[in-house]
Amino acid sequence: MRSAPVPRVDLTESVETPENVVLTYQLAGPALRLGAYLIDLLISGVVYVFCLMIVFAAAMAGRVGLGAGVALILVFLVFWFYFALTEWFFRGRTPGKMAFRLRVIQDGGYPITIWSAVLRNLVRVVDAMPTAVGAAFPVYGVGLLSAFATGNFRTLGDLAARTMVIEENPVRLPREPVILERIQPLNRSEIGGFSPSARTLSLIEEFLGRRYVLTYRRGHEMAQMLAKVLAKRLNYQGDPEVVTRYPMAFLASIYATFHKTLDDDKDTAGLTRGPDARAGQKRPSQPSQNAANGDRA
Amino acid sequence: MTKRDFINKRRNAWRRFAELVKDLNLRRNRLSAEEMAEFSRLFRGACYDLATIRSRNWGTGLESYLNGMVTRAHNAYYSAPPGNLANSFRFVTTEFPRIFRRNIGYFLVAATLFFVPLGVTWTLVRLNPETASRIMSPEQLEQMGKMYEADEDEKDQGWLGYMEGFSNERSGMAGFYIFNNAGIALRVFALGMLMGIGTVWYLVYNGIFIGAAAGYITSLSDAHREKFLSFVVTHGSFELTAIAVSGGAGLILADAILHPGQRTRMEALKVRGREAVQIAIGAAFMLFIAAFIEAFWSPAPLPANVKYAAGATMWLTVFAYLGFAGLDFKKE
Repeated sequence: MRSAPVPRVDLTESVETPENVVLTYQLAGPALRLGAYLIDLLISGVVYVFCLMIVFAAAMAGRVGLGAGVALILVFLVFWFYFALTEWFFRGRTPGKMAFRLRVIQDGGYPITIWSAVLRNLVRVVDAMPTAVGAAFPVYGVGLLSAFATGNFRTLGDLAARTMVIEENPVRLPREPVILERIQPLNRSEIGGFSPSARTLSLIEEFLGRRYVLTYRRGHEMAQMLAKVLAKRLNYQGDPEVVTRYPMAFLASIYATFHKTLDDDKDTAGLTRGPDARAGQKRPSQPSQNAANGDRA
Repeated sequence: MTKRDFINKRRNAWRRFAELVKDLNLRRNRLSAEEMAEFSRLFRGACYDLATIRSRNWGTGLESYLNGMVTRAHNAYYSAPPGNLANSFRFVTTEFPRIFRRNIGYFLVAATLFFVPLGVTWTLVRLNPETASRIMSPEQLEQMGKMYEADEDEKDQGWLGYMEGFSNERSGMAGFYIFNNAGIALRVFALGMLMGIGTVWYLVYNGIFIGAAAGYITSLSDAHREKFLSFVVTHGSFELTAIAVSGGAGLILADAILHPGQRTRMEALKVRGREAVQIAIGAAFMLFIAAFIEAFWSPAPLPANVKYAAGATMWLTVFAYLGFAGLDFKKE
C-alpha cells in the first residue's frame, strides 16, 4: 500500500503481496479509460437498438405492451448491470477494457469481487454527473474530478469499492541489447580505478536496448551526455574522438568492460575485481568461460 | 552471478510460469493438482527473482517483465471460487435480511425522511386539496384523477378485459415499473457517495410527491378513494419499504464518509460500502417483486376488501421478511 504521499509524475501504484514482494501497477489514465468506456457504450447501444426492434416487432404482432415490457427490463439490466456483470465475469475486464488491455483489480492486486463490481458500477451514475441532454449524455465531471483529486486516478466508484483500473501490457523477456562478444572492452591501461555503479550499467544497457526508438542523431546526442561524464570519471586516456563521435559504441564498451561486476555484492565485488577484469578482456575469444566465471562470483 | 547468467538460468522456469499463468487466466481454476503445485512453486520462485532483480538494479526491462507476470499470477491465484445460484438464493433468503437488520438504524432514518413528508403532505392535501397544485401541474392532477375514476367500461369487461391485458399492457407496465422504480432506488443509493445530499433530497421529494398525489386522489370522491387505496395497498408494501431500504443503504455510504470513526474515510468506505451495496441490491430485488404485483395483481377487478386483505398480508410479509428471515438466534 502507498504510505506517505510522495509527489509523482507517473501513474504507478505499489502493493505488497503475501509473498513479501512489492508489485507495481501501471494505473490507466483518462484517455484509455474513455476509449474503453466508448466501446462499452457502443455495445450497450447495440442492445438498446435491439430493444427498440423488439418493441417494433411486438407492435406489428399487436402486442406492443409485452414488447415494451421486455425491452424496458432489458434496458434496465444493461444500464445498471452491464459493466458490473462483465467486469465480474471476465475478471475485471469489460469488452471495452479488454480492447484497451485494462483490468479492474481490488486494492492489493486481488481479482475484483462481484460486490465490488456491482458497487463501483452503481456509483457510476454519480461519477457520470453532470449529464447533458437529459440523461443521454454523461459528462463524467464528478468522476474526473475525483480521479484527479485522489492522485491515483480513482473515480468515486473506485473509492467506494476499493478498486483501481490498471494497464496490462504484454510481457516479454527483454532481449540482450548488444551482442556482448562482439564488443571490444576498454583497454584497462587507458582508464583509472573508477568502476561505474550497477545502476549506471543498467541504464546503459536499457538505453542501448531501446536505441532504435530514437533517430540516429538524437540517440547519439543523448548518449554523448552520459559518455562524456563517464569518460571523465573513468579518466579515459584513449582516443577522445571515440567519446564524441561514437558515444554509443563507447557506452557499449564500458558495459562490456564492467558488466561482470554488475550484480556482485559489494564485498565479493571487491575481491573479484582484478581477476574478473582480466577475464573480461579475454572473453571475446572465449565466450564459454562466461558461466563458469559467473558462478564463481 | 551476473545478470546474463541469471537470465539464462531462470529463463526456462519463467517460460513455464508464463504458460501456467495464461492457463489459469483462461480456464479459471481448472489446473490439475500437479500443475497447481508447480504453479505455486514457480510463483514463489518468480517473486524471489523479482526481489533479486530489484535489489541489484538489473534494469526496468527485466523488472517489468517479471512484475507483469507476477501481478497476473497474483490476480489469478488469489481469486475466490465463482459464485453460483445457491449463493444468490442464500443471499435473498438469509444474507440480505441479516445485513439489513445489522444496519437498521440507517433504514429508520431513511424511512423517517420518506414516510413523514409523505404522511404530512397526504394529510395537508386531504384537508385542503387546493394545495396539491403547488406540487403538481393541473394536467398531472387531472390525469391522476382520471386514472382512478370508477370506470364503467372496465366494470363491464371485468375479468375478460383484465385477462386480455395480461400479456400486453400489464407486461408493459411491469417492465416500466422495474425500469423506473428500481432505477430510482439504485440512484438514491448511489447518491450516498455525495455525502447523502442527493439521497435525502430524493427521499423527501418522493415522499412529498407521493403524499400529494395520494391526498389529492383520496379527496376527490369515495369511489376514487376506494379504487386508489385498494390499488396501491398491496404493492405499496414492497415498493415504499424498498425505497426507504435503498435510501438507508445510501445513508450508510454517506455516514462512512462523514463519520469514519477511528478509520480513515477510505477505509470506512471499504468496510461499510460492501454491506451498503448488498442492501441496495436487496432493495432492487424487492422492487422487482413490487413491479410484478403492481402490474398484475393491483389492477385485478376484485372487491376492495379482498385487496385490502391481500395488502395487509403483504405488509406483514415484508415486515416478517426483513425482521425475521435468516434470524440467527444465537447472534442476533
